[in-house]
Amino acid sequence: MSERATIRPVEVSTPQAKPAAPAAPSTTTTTQAPTIAVEELRAFYGRAEQLKGIDVELPANQVTAIIGPSGCGKSTLVRCINRMHEEVPGAHAEGRVLLDGRNLYDPAVDVTAVRRVIGMVFQKPNPFPTMSIFDNVAAGRRLTAGRRAGMREKVERALRGAGLWEEVHERLSEPGMGLSGGQQQRLCIARSLAVEPDAILMDEPCSALDPIATLKIEELIAELKRTVTIVIVTHNMQQAARVADRTVFMLDGRLVEVGPTKQIFTNPHDPRTEEYVTGKFG
Amino acid sequence: MSEDRLARLALSGRRKFKDRAVRGAMLGATVVALVPLVLILYYLVHKGLSAWSASFFTTDPTGQSFFANKGVGGIRSALLGTIVMVALASAIAVPVGIGVALWLVEYGKDSWLAKVVRFFVDVLTGVPSILFGLFIYIVLIVGTGTSFAGYKGSLALALLMLPIVTRSAEVVLLLVPDALRESALALGAPRWRMVARVVLPTARAGLVTGSLLAVARAAGETAPLLFTAAFTYKTSFNLGGFMNSLPVQIFNDVTSPTEALVNRAWGAALALVVLVLLLNLSARLISRTGRVA
Ligand SMILES: Nc1ncnc2c1ncn2[C@@H]1O[C@H](COP(=O)(O)OP(=O)(O)O)[C@@H](O)[C@H]1O
Ligand SMILES: [Mg+2]
Repeated sequence: MSERATIRPVEVSTPQAKPAAPAAPSTTTTTQAPTIAVEELRAFYGRAEQLKGIDVELPANQVTAIIGPSGCGKSTLVRCINRMHEEVPGAHAEGRVLLDGRNLYDPAVDVTAVRRVIGMVFQKPNPFPTMSIFDNVAAGRRLTAGRRAGMREKVERALRGAGLWEEVHERLSEPGMGLSGGQQQRLCIARSLAVEPDAILMDEPCSALDPIATLKIEELIAELKRTVTIVIVTHNMQQAARVADRTVFMLDGRLVEVGPTKQIFTNPHDPRTEEYVTGKFG
Repeated sequence: MSEDRLARLALSGRRKFKDRAVRGAMLGATVVALVPLVLILYYLVHKGLSAWSASFFTTDPTGQSFFANKGVGGIRSALLGTIVMVALASAIAVPVGIGVALWLVEYGKDSWLAKVVRFFVDVLTGVPSILFGLFIYIVLIVGTGTSFAGYKGSLALALLMLPIVTRSAEVVLLLVPDALRESALALGAPRWRMVARVVLPTARAGLVTGSLLAVARAAGETAPLLFTAAFTYKTSFNLGGFMNSLPVQIFNDVTSPTEALVNRAWGAALALVVLVLLLNLSARLISRTGRVA
């Protein structure tokens, strides 16, 4: 606990504080991850409002999928959650994102701490091209001045957590770019895990991958939710149905419906959701 | 039917002829452009090599034999002076230039201040090199009432190099994919650490290449040194005093009436070209190891 970037004040930290060394996902232990609550979130690119007031809760240790047609604001929403949205020149967000009750948009909150607590995996696998497999995983800690001691163990645990250890442990010093696309994406997941985040946001993490690599990542997601809260954007409804506990349907910068995945796909309350999940548009 | 179409779409005889004529004209123009280049290289190697000897590189120019055709000495002080002054100029211009480029790409972006800086960098790129010498002359020699000095030559060269380094570094830094920056920031890296650990290593080869090209450019410049570092015969490592340099020695020698001195100029010119060529070659080799184009 001491070495993780904590942005939760003591009084709201969860009673079951995470151990400093989270268990490897292969064991069945579950560690308590935080709940993320998005409240009245509005996001702008310049003056164009692209999120028009989003309220949604992303429960602890669950996978929440975000679906919706292209351009409806899925990426914008996840990028607001770890405050990456504000890196776009001219972009800003209004509203609140609460991590176990603590507002991440509070001016007192350090934005780099937010990103260490909420990791992110992007659409295209993007290992750092100058770095070896080992250094890619270690990069997260080095970039954030995390403690250097025990780096080897940390890297191994992160690679195991991303289901990549068996495939790469004999060539850790080779370039990360030499891996296949699916392996590169799991390397990126390992890179996020090495910072020991409480939540991970994935923006269409499988859209550049083949079906087998996709399946591996989906299995991985099911493992990871034991230790972290997961939000996954996907344009693939089968994928949402396979991995997500809850599903959010968005349209045109607004949230249309949120509920258990099964209900969203079999018994949606909103006609627009029904049209979308039955493939009538999108 | 497809045969018909093929026949209809075939180039007519007239157009084929035009095509050949244009191609011929372009080939001719290329040859015309190459002729002076080949001639220059031929004279340079021919005349330069005959001036070269082992002692040519290890002796200073003597300066005595204005009308004698023997014992004019070599280019040691010029070669070493060029290396020392260009090294100091690079030590100033490369870090500052890359620093300015980093600021432009990572922080300034499209702000008005960045636009102003870019504008001035562009203006500096187009300034004739003699003006850099003149500027240093007026500020550091006339202005302070002091004499010529190697470091003043270095400063003039650094001014010349600065916009070249900045421009090329900016282009290379822009080639680093934003996805890498985003990944680093999303890991919780502070901006400067993202720049130091991800952007700079990714752009390394391109930055070195751009800097080496600027070094090569500076090594061949006469005008910034003429009235800042001036000219001397003796080898000197004292940047506070007069310093010799290859371009200035060539400038002096080639205008002299003495054949031996003109020959010395050819030898020095060949040495300078070889030096610049080596710099360019290493720039090319290093750029091949790059992660971004
Ligand atoms: N960098 C940007 N600058 C301006 N507008 C943007 C930018 N990124 C996204 N948008 C706009 O914001 C809206 C939502 O985009 P996005 O969140 O990427 O949608 P999704 O991920 O659901 O496809 C779109 O209309 C898009 O055009
Ligand atoms: Mg998107």
